[in-house]
Amino acid sequence: MILPTGLRKFVLTAHVTASVGWLGAAMAFLALAVVGLTSQDPETVRGVYLVMEPAARLVLVPLAFVSLLTGIVQSLGSVWGLFRHYWVVFKLLITVFATIVLLIYIETFRSMAGVAADPDSDLHVVRNASPVLHATLALVTLLVATVLAVFKPKGMTPYGWRTQRQQRVRSQPLE
Amino acid sequence: MANTPPDRDSNSDTGEEPDHDSTPGAPRWVKVFGIIALVVVLLFLILMFTRGSGGRHGPGRHFSSGESGATTAAPSSVVEGDTPLGAGRG
Repeated sequence: MILPTGLRKFVLTAHVTASVGWLGAAMAFLALAVVGLTSQDPETVRGVYLVMEPAARLVLVPLAFVSLLTGIVQSLGSVWGLFRHYWVVFKLLITVFATIVLLIYIETFRSMAGVAADPDSDLHVVRNASPVLHATLALVTLLVATVLAVFKPKGMTPYGWRTQRQQRVRSQPLE
Repeated sequence: MANTPPDRDSNSDTGEEPDHDSTPGAPRWVKVFGIIALVVVLLFLILMFTRGSGGRHGPGRHFSSGESGATTAAPSSVVEGDTPLGAGRG
């Protein structure tokens, strides 16, 4: 079903906003993670790991779900479809995968926040390089999804091919 | 997923393929992406189920604490431990 133009543009705006916002939030997390590893100020280091968990829960997770849901609606509501073109399928898989990893990683954020909140824990224990790795991988993954969305490389899935042929047959005038 | 509907006036962005009788094979970029995706997912699953207690994703999964250079590694039991959120606060 093709969405009306106004609704489609609204969903598209929400999708682009959420997707690019997720990318920007991942950059902010990378910056935080680097500060947590390199800062010489103990309170700053503890603060970094304390703020990551609520920031992830309140910013990253909502953005991920909005990006995923609006992407699915946008695809199904346009002629691109969800499973007709390889680039759409890959973008869907990337978004689902990144969302699952993010949800699993929330537990790690909680654990790091707990260690950072403990005044008895040594600063060496509080510092952790894991967020740097994860934020970097998230950035790369989301950048790939963005590139796919912009360039839309050619390639139809067998399902998309069959659908297109059926539509062409239907649209041809009877002789 | 899809940002904009295909522009039917543009040959390069129509979302349509030339008509053939048989279904064409997947483009090369799809095969490359597929292999990379498969490797990433396999690595993810291996890390999920082979490391850490019960396969849980802990902060010490990839690095020990204090890898910033001048610091010493923390005991893995401390790093991997699931300290409740807010423990020690207040």
